[in-house]
Amino acid sequence: MKRSLVRVDNRLVHGQILESWIPFLHASCIVVVNNEVAGDVFRESVIRMAVPRGIEVVFCGIDDFAQWQNPEKESDNHRHTIILFESIEDVIRAYRLGFRFEDLNVGNVQNNVGRTRKIGTRVHLSDSEIEDLMMLVRLGVDVEIRSVPRDRPVSFADAVGNTRGD
Amino acid sequence: MIGVVVVTHGNLGRELIRAAELIKGDLKGVAHVSVDATRGVEDLKKEMTTAIKKADKGEGVLILTDLFGGTPSNISLSFLKKDKVEVVTGVNLPMLLKMPDARAGMTLAEFADFIAEYGRKNIYLASAILNRKTEN
Repeated sequence: MKRSLVRVDNRLVHGQILESWIPFLHASCIVVVNNEVAGDVFRESVIRMAVPRGIEVVFCGIDDFAQWQNPEKESDNHRHTIILFESIEDVIRAYRLGFRFEDLNVGNVQNNVGRTRKIGTRVHLSDSEIEDLMMLVRLGVDVEIRSVPRDRPVSFADAVGNTRGD
Repeated sequence: MIGVVVVTHGNLGRELIRAAELIKGDLKGVAHVSVDATRGVEDLKKEMTTAIKKADKGEGVLILTDLFGGTPSNISLSFLKKDKVEVVTGVNLPMLLKMPDARAGMTLAEFADFIAEYGRKNIYLASAILNRKTEN
């Protein structure tokens, strides 16, 4: 099993993370990479209270996170970590600032104006988000669309090929 | 009358209210909001705002939600306001059944506290009760 899950989820920490991903991965650490939540005492404490005891929760702005460390490289660390980004824009920003990962899980991207491509029931993408994800794919990142561990993972590259063929 | 809004994953809230009404008859001043995967958070917040306004008859609104940390609870918490909106998580049928009798004569804070405690107290391990009875 992979050590870390790097995930895009517009709901950040919510039921799917608490009840599905944490037990599935036996995660012992969650990193919430978000400029609005980091430093917001109320939102930070709500998330801390929701996460089961014994699991470390770290809040970090995007720029700080990218500079702080590259968790995938921590070879002396056997913990399983979930790294959460609210949007594709945010994870791309972290990537551009130096955060590297081999796999990206796209769990929930809510339907908004401009997000005309739908993959599965919970991921809606705009043209520029598709381009950004394709860039990651070309750079060797395995991008999967999957809300919860029990869902069948859908390869982003395959899915985009399919929706383009529609 | 203190208003009540049940906010849950999927249609759990609607069905809990229906189940309570089977037992208790028509529940007044109780609304529900369903949170599912297809709807955006902003859209849900709008629906919540409307539901809370509608439920508020001047004595405040109690939001009952299912899972602390889940999206329904996360959205509900953004509406917390002293003496106006309280949030209790872990909603169950005993809470809904008790609510109509309990809310008269209580402030919102008292009512929220009472319902949280009542919901907690009404979870039993049946075999433990039976064992206790046979011991007596």
